[in-house]
Parts: sequence; structure tokens; C-alpha cells
Amino acid sequence: MIYNKIPFDVIVCGAGHAGCEAALAAARMGATTLLLTGNIDTIAQMSCNPAIGGQAKGQMVREIDALGGEMGINTDVTGIQFRLLNESKGPAVQSPRAQCDKKMYQFRLKHTLELQPGLHVFQAMVTGLVYSGDKVVGVQTNLDIEFAGKTVVVTTGTFLRGLMHIGLNKNEGGRLGDFTAKTLSASFLAAGIELQRLKTGTPPRLLGRSLDFSQMEEQKGDASPTLFAFHDTRDPEDLFHVEQTGEQRLGWVPGAAQVSCWMTYTTERTAQLVRENLHKSAMYSGEIEGVGPRYCPSIEDKFVRFADKPRHLLFLEPEGRSTNEYYVNGLSTSLPFDVQLEMVRSVPGLQNAELLRPAYAVEYDFAPPTQLFPSLESRKVENLFFAGQINGTSGYEEAAAQGLVAGVNAVRKVRSQPPMVIKRHEGYIGVLIDDLVTKGTREPYRMFTSRAEHRLLFNHGSAELRMLHHAREHGLVSATRLARIEEKKRMIEEWTAAFEKLRAPAGQGSLGDAVRRATTGGGMLPPFPEEFAKQSDAIRSEVLYRVSYQGYLAREQRQIEKLSAIESIKLPADIDYLAVRGLRKESATKLQEFRPYTLGQAARISGVNPADISILMVYLEARRAAGKADRAVGAD
Amino acid sequence: MRKMDSSHDTIVALATPVGTSAIAVVRASGPQCAELARAILGKTPRARFALHGDYRDRHGVVIDDVVATFFAGPKSYTGEDVLEISSHGNPFIAQKILEDLLARGCRAAEAGEFSRRAFLNGRIDLSQAEAVMDLIHARSERALAAANQQLRGSLGRHLSVLTEELLGVLARVEAYIDFPDEDLPVEDRGIVLEGVRRVMAGADRLLATQHYGELLRDGIKTVIVGEPNAGKSSLLNRLVGRERALVSAEPGTTRDFIEERVIIGPHCLRLIDTAGLNPSPAPLEKLGMEKTLERAAEADLFLLVLDATRPRPELPPELLARIDAGNALIVINKIDLAASAGVSLSQLIEQKEIVKISARTGEGLEALVAAVVRRAEAFRRDQGDEVIAINARHAAALERAKVCLQGAMAHLRDDGPVELLASDLRGALDALGEIGGRIDNERMLDHLFATFCIGK
Repeated sequence: MIYNKIPFDVIVCGAGHAGCEAALAAARMGATTLLLTGNIDTIAQMSCNPAIGGQAKGQMVREIDALGGEMGINTDVTGIQFRLLNESKGPAVQSPRAQCDKKMYQFRLKHTLELQPGLHVFQAMVTGLVYSGDKVVGVQTNLDIEFAGKTVVVTTGTFLRGLMHIGLNKNEGGRLGDFTAKTLSASFLAAGIELQRLKTGTPPRLLGRSLDFSQMEEQKGDASPTLFAFHDTRDPEDLFHVEQTGEQRLGWVPGAAQVSCWMTYTTERTAQLVRENLHKSAMYSGEIEGVGPRYCPSIEDKFVRFADKPRHLLFLEPEGRSTNEYYVNGLSTSLPFDVQLEMVRSVPGLQNAELLRPAYAVEYDFAPPTQLFPSLESRKVENLFFAGQINGTSGYEEAAAQGLVAGVNAVRKVRSQPPMVIKRHEGYIGVLIDDLVTKGTREPYRMFTSRAEHRLLFNHGSAELRMLHHAREHGLVSATRLARIEEKKRMIEEWTAAFEKLRAPAGQGSLGDAVRRATTGGGMLPPFPEEFAKQSDAIRSEVLYRVSYQGYLAREQRQIEKLSAIESIKLPADIDYLAVRGLRKESATKLQEFRPYTLGQAARISGVNPADISILMVYLEARRAAGKADRAVGAD
Repeated sequence: MRKMDSSHDTIVALATPVGTSAIAVVRASGPQCAELARAILGKTPRARFALHGDYRDRHGVVIDDVVATFFAGPKSYTGEDVLEISSHGNPFIAQKILEDLLARGCRAAEAGEFSRRAFLNGRIDLSQAEAVMDLIHARSERALAAANQQLRGSLGRHLSVLTEELLGVLARVEAYIDFPDEDLPVEDRGIVLEGVRRVMAGADRLLATQHYGELLRDGIKTVIVGEPNAGKSSLLNRLVGRERALVSAEPGTTRDFIEERVIIGPHCLRLIDTAGLNPSPAPLEKLGMEKTLERAAEADLFLLVLDATRPRPELPPELLARIDAGNALIVINKIDLAASAGVSLSQLIEQKEIVKISARTGEGLEALVAAVVRRAEAFRRDQGDEVIAINARHAAALERAKVCLQGAMAHLRDDGPVELLASDLRGALDALGEIGGRIDNERMLDHLFATFCIGK
């Protein structure tokens, strides 16, 4: 049966971290939205580590919050341990990280979806897409119910032909205990969308009361937690403890009653077990064809590739307040269960550990993201958007960021409006999507601060200011919040300028000079004007950052301006690069393969040199003029 | 027509072919042009009028007398302010002017960049677009072929050694930024500093080859030195083959410098005659001697001319410090007047090759030429089999890399913020990338994951 005669504006397939943000963004923009999930009880599940944030990812969550997304608030009010990473380093590379209560995180997000006006949530597994010509017009489900939609956002995570490995044991599924999406892959292939395989893994989960924490080192949370959401500008009704549509929302005061994580190390015995059983590992026995991430290697990889390192650090991380389950960070493996058990018990504090779930590796299909426009819409099938792991990424934050962008752009597409494209110099979300659609990825892609050319501009506190114009233009935050952000921005800019005009005491030049001396020379900060001391923490810290790093931030701005001209020149989708006269063969082949969207992206493809860019500029101009001439002839 | 934002930087390039010609034209385009003209010529340029004057470099030293023409944008070839400087057609002078403009903040133009700016600013209409495309194509392909040839060879190898070293250093810094929760070894900035120093030294070595490039292009700078009246000018005249220098029996006739280019064997020599080195000079002579010593400081090869009829002269220690067996030939002149050398060869000039000649009769000249050729060959051998000769664009990029490396060293010294250290290292890497092609961040990550065990 077909469920609806009037198509939904947006159908989101999958309710993981990407799907949730996509559905919320679309519905909040006023679009009629349907969220389909194979299991309503596993909405927003943290399939791996129950933690949000960390290097670059923490900054990205703040950008998501600045764009009206949910991940930041949901983390704040369900977090059980908060730490600011790199606190001793400069503000640009400080990142908030939080350990969450896994179940509470899910419950609150599910509840948020349920309460969202305009959003329908329904449990059914999507088995295929419905096409009309080269457009998608709906989806089919395992319940033989068909849904019509103007746009479809696909967020399949690891479920697309998911195959789990524990040693030589294999099970179909995207996550232990869950199903696999088998037929959907065929539906993509039929539309000419190319698929490839990736691999990821997760460590075993242990029972807390079987562990001896006295043999481990404690890691506490920060006394004053750094939060993800911008509580200074958020509307009170966005927050957890206030009633919305008459229902009490779940969660607790951010940073309340934090719990600890624990550190321990592998032993010589662990290493020996790994070496002796290497041939039984799914990865080393050739069972796995997918490519795994280098930054998150299995314990097998660690002992093989770094044979001279005697031991490896493990973190025991609690999965929630109402569970005794612990995640063993650092012990991802695809060794057989009996080896896992012995391995776990070779670690101090884990000698009597009981496993609740084994570690496993999972292989899944992804669609190389170079097949997408920067809007995350497929180049092959119109109105079809992709977000999250299906694009080759890894991580909840990367998924959520793409979900939000795909959700917004699906609505923009329905409304025939140009897409929201966040630029590389605006934030990590911009770097993420530009990297994906321009260069693709060979391993599960994770964000690092080093991927951003303009990292110094991406301090987490400035995310709202950097995303402001997108939030305004696409209506992603309420008018009241928008006004508060604009006021904050004004105050920051005024005070930053004032620091260069106000004099420091004792003829030490401007107040700005004195701040910079204190930053680089490690001296004392000058006394600040009373009015400045009265400003909020957010305003003060951003002003001080801008003042103390002034020279470097200005250098970044100059580089951005230099690049802006070619960034804004669009490359038509139908250029046949191989036929562009004068282009070197190497460049033409690369351009033909990656099909950049702007001249700036073309310049970032390795192997394309400045002379090629010049030739493309001339080609574009000749083509534009020729097009005009054609039309003129046609008019005769 | 689409217009780019007016360009922020001023580009420069040699507009005439490289090599000796009647005049050489260096062209600049961009917002700095008017200011440059004032700084260099001391006069405000009037658009479209030729201005004759001395080209003074950034230290105030006159390089050449030149004719400069200023074209105010948009009525210029590129549509921007343009400055054209015509100098004498000596490639050395053009090179000096180019280097000075780069040091004043201009950027070496990329292949076809003037045409591209002209095109983007609407100075070339569509009927010319095809021609421009051909032009850019031709220029870039030729430039590319030359560049590739060099990049595939020794310059490429040296550059990739530096790049790899720098990537390793950067990975070492980035690991502590991006993976603070990992079980990394204790951060050792000493290793980073050593690496930065090695890259700096490598950049210096490459920069030094710019001089070797000049040697090949402009000739070996050969200074003829000696006491007054030893016959230096006679030797120059003999080698040049015509009366170029004024010769007289009066010692100290040559007060100024006389420079001539001569082809000796397969080599080009820039032969410079200098004022005699007199232990007790007259005031005017003294001035000439100071200049001689200045010249000697930049010389590649010395012909130390001694008078066979006189005892060994006292030579200034500044000069003796500069000469060695590799860069000096002892030329004993006037053997037609004294059959055996009256000069007592002290330890000082031992081990240096000695040639006995008579500049007046030409006796021994063939032996001298052979000795000069051997010496010139030795310059080549000193570089090994590799012929590296970087050009001004390479040098500008290397200088930019060095500025960033110096910044990085300052952060290491002051224990400054690690993200600023990384920012400078990245700046250096980008500058190196301008020579050999863009360096993708993936390569830094390759180093990082190969060096450190990441993944808790």
C-alpha cells in the first residue's frame, strides 16, 4: 500500500545521529518530515563509545548547536563526565568532551523527536527506493508500506550489508543484536550509485562489579564542566528541565554528580596472546576486505605495527548511571571470543572480568562521497541526500553534522532555494563536507584539527559567531536566540576594538599590547576595565582570544581573502574536462573523476596546478560567452 | 564579464627573454606599483610617461640606470597598475632588480598570470580569449616542461628530503594537539628543534645554489688582484683581446673597476680588474683599495697577479682570508723581464697553482687559460654530479619558508603555544609546496600514524 497521497517534504531513512539531526532540522524549518527507523527503541544509539566530543569533534558539536542542532544539548543534560581536552594549550585547540549515559541520551533524543511538531516517526525498515526517471520519489519498506516523499535522506550507518566478525565467526547485522539492510544496496546500484566496503570495530563490554578499580588509575571529570550547547543564547524552552508542550523532559543539571573513568595497561601476557593468535583474527586471516581506520586500530594492529611498544593504555568508561556496563576503550579486536576473554583477564584490574558483550569488527557498504554535491545531494539521483557513515565517515559528531546539513538542504531543495554550503574557513563542518565531496576517503573519515587550514579561527567558543549567517539565512534558530547571538557578536567586536584603543597602565602601550605580552612572555595580564569584567565569560574569553592571537588571526584572514575569489567561481556539472583544450592530461583525468564544484575545490585537488586553474578560467569565460551567442542565434 | 576582486598582491616577472640583450624589461602588476616607483626612483610616476633615473635597491644601492614607465589601472595591459622597468640587457642586472622587487613584497608571477589578470579584469575581450588560451597553454607547458625536468632531477630529490623531514616534524607536533588523551611518549621539543634546524640548513643549501645558477647563467665572477703596477690591467686586456683597461707604467692607474665578459673554453667569466693593493696608499688610492676588497668578498675566482721582478708583496689580511687553493690562481707576470721568479713563495701561497706569464708578450697565456678552465671545472665538480640551480621564484618560496621556520624556532625557544608552532611549520610546508606542488594533509597524517600508536 502507499501510505500517503501527499508526499512528505522529507523522508529520513535511519534514526542514528545523522538521521535524528536531519529529521529535526527539516521539521523545525517547517517541512513535513517522516523519520523511518528499523527499531524505535534504538534511536540515537551510541553503538561504540558512549562519549561525545573530543579533538575537533567537540568544536563540531558546538557548530551543530549554533545551527540549531540537538546533539550539544542532549549531551549536556545526559553527560556523566565532562573534560576539556588540551586545557594547557591555546583556545583554538581546546575541545570539550563528555561521557554520556547511553540510555538517557537515547531516551531524551527519542522524546525530543516525538515532541517535534511536523515530524512523524515510524518503525519500518527501508528495503528500497522508488525512482521516477532519475529522481527519487519515495521509499519501500519491509512491511510492504510505501511512503511518498519529495526528497529522501539516507543515513544507513553500518547497516548496509553489515557483516560482523568475531574471529572466524560471522553474523549479518549492522550492530550486535540488530538486523542488516540487505536489499537497499541493490536499489542504489540499480540507480548507478557506486558502493565500496569499509570496516570498523568495537571493544568488549565488561561487568563493573567484576572489576578491581583499586588496580587502576582514576580519571575524574572537570570540576567546572565546559558544555557543548550555547546556554547563554539558547531559549529557555530549548533546555531540559523546562516543560515543553506540557511534558517533563529527561536529563539532569549539566555537570551534576559526575562519574570517573579508569586507566589501566595491557601486559606482556596480552601481547603474547595477540601474537600467538594473530592467525585467528578476522582481519589478519583475510576474512575482512573492508578498510579500517588508522586512528582507531585494533589491538592486533597496535602490537604488530608498534612491536617495540611494550604496553598500551586502556580506559574503562562507564556506560551510564543505571547500568554496571563498562566500555574498554583501546581494546577493539576481531579475535575469537576465547582469546578475547584471556586477553581481557591479562590486564591489571580485569583479572576476574566478566564480559557482557564481545568485541567485534563490522564491515559495511558505503557510497564514495565524491558522488555528492556539496549540498550532500546525489549527483546521480535528484532529490536523494546522503549523510553519516554511508558517506565513509566515522563518529557520531561527523554523522550529526552531515545529517543537519542534509536535512536543511533537502528542505531547501523542496523550496527551490539554493543549498546551505558551509565554507572551509567557516568551521569544521565546512572542512568535513568539502573534504568528502572533493577528495573522498579511503578509510572511515574522522575529523582532526589538522585537517583545517584555518584551525586558529575554529576555537569552540566562536562557533555561534562563525555559523551566524547560516543560522540567520536558513532560519535555523529562533528570532530571540538570533538577537542574543547578534548582540553577543556586537559586544565581542566592540571590546576587541576597544582593547587596541584603551591604554594599559604605566605607559605600556595599548591594553591589547599588554595582553599579547602577557600571552607570549607568560607575564601578568593587565587589569581590565570594570565594564569588561562585568561581561559574560563567553564574551570575555572570546575577546581575550582575539586580542592575544591578533597577528596570527589576521594572517589567516588574509589567506582566506586571497582564496575567496576562486572559491566563488562555480564549475558547471557538465564540463567534459578531457575535451578542455590546453589542460594537462593528469589534471583533466583527476578533474573528470572528482568533478569539483568550484574552482577553489579544483585547486585543492592534488596534481592540479595554477596554470590548469588559469586555463579553466579562460574556458569558463569562453563557454559563457558562447552560450550567450547561442541564445542570441536561437532568438533570431 | 566576471571580475575577480582586485588582486591583493603585486606580481613581477622578467618580460624579455633571459639572456644578454640590448635591454631587459621587468614588469610588475598590482596595487604596489606606484609606491614601488616612488621608492625605487624617488619620483612620483606620471602615468604613461617614461621616467629616466637610477634604480636604487632597498638598501639604497644603485643597481643600474633605468627607464621606468607607469601605467595606471584600469588603462593598462592587466587592468591594474603596471610598472615596466627597462634596464641594460645584462641578465645579472635584471636578476638583481627582480630579487629586489621580491624582497620589497612582490610575488613572482605564475606562468600566464599577467594574461590571466588582464583577462579577469576585462582587458581582453572574447575575440582574444582563444589567443590568450593558446598563450597560457604554450607558456605553462614550456615552463612546466622545464620545471618538471628540474623537479624530476636533483632539485626534486633535495626538496622531497626537506618536505619529508618537515612533515615528520609537523606530525610530531600535531600528534600532541590532536591526540591529547593518547598514551604518547613525553613530548620532546628538542627533537622538533633539531628537525627544524635541519630543514633550515637544507633550505640554506638550496638557496646557495641560486648563486651557482647565476654562475652558470651570468658567468664566474673573477677578480684580478695584486699590488699596484703588477700588470693586472695588462692581463685583462690580454684575456679580452683588446685595449679595454687603461694601461700605464704609473702604478695605481686603475681606480675604478673594469668589468668584461670573456668566454674561456666552455665557461663564461666576468673578469673584473681592480685597483692595486698598496700597503701605504695615497688617500684616493685607499678608497679604490677598499672597493677592491669589497669586490673580493663576492668573487668566485681570484687571479692573484704578482710582479716577477719584485719581492713578494704584503697583501691585506682580508684578502688572504678569502683565498684558498680552490678559488685562487697565482699569476706571476713579467717573466719576460725576470727569467726566474724573483718572488719568494711563502707558505701562504704554497699549494696554490702557479702560472707564469708575460701579459706583454702573451707568453704562458695558454697555460693560464688551461688553468682557469680547470678551476672552473672544479666549481662544477664541487656540486657533485648534481646540477642544481634554483631560480628567483624558487628562492622567493624558500625565503618564505625560512621566515616561517624562524617563527617556529622562536616558539620553540620561548616555549610558545603549540598551535602557533604548528601554524608556522604549516606555513613553511606550504611555501615548499609552491615549488614542488601542493602537499596534502594526508601525507602529514601518514607520518603521524606511522610514528605514533594512536587509538585508545
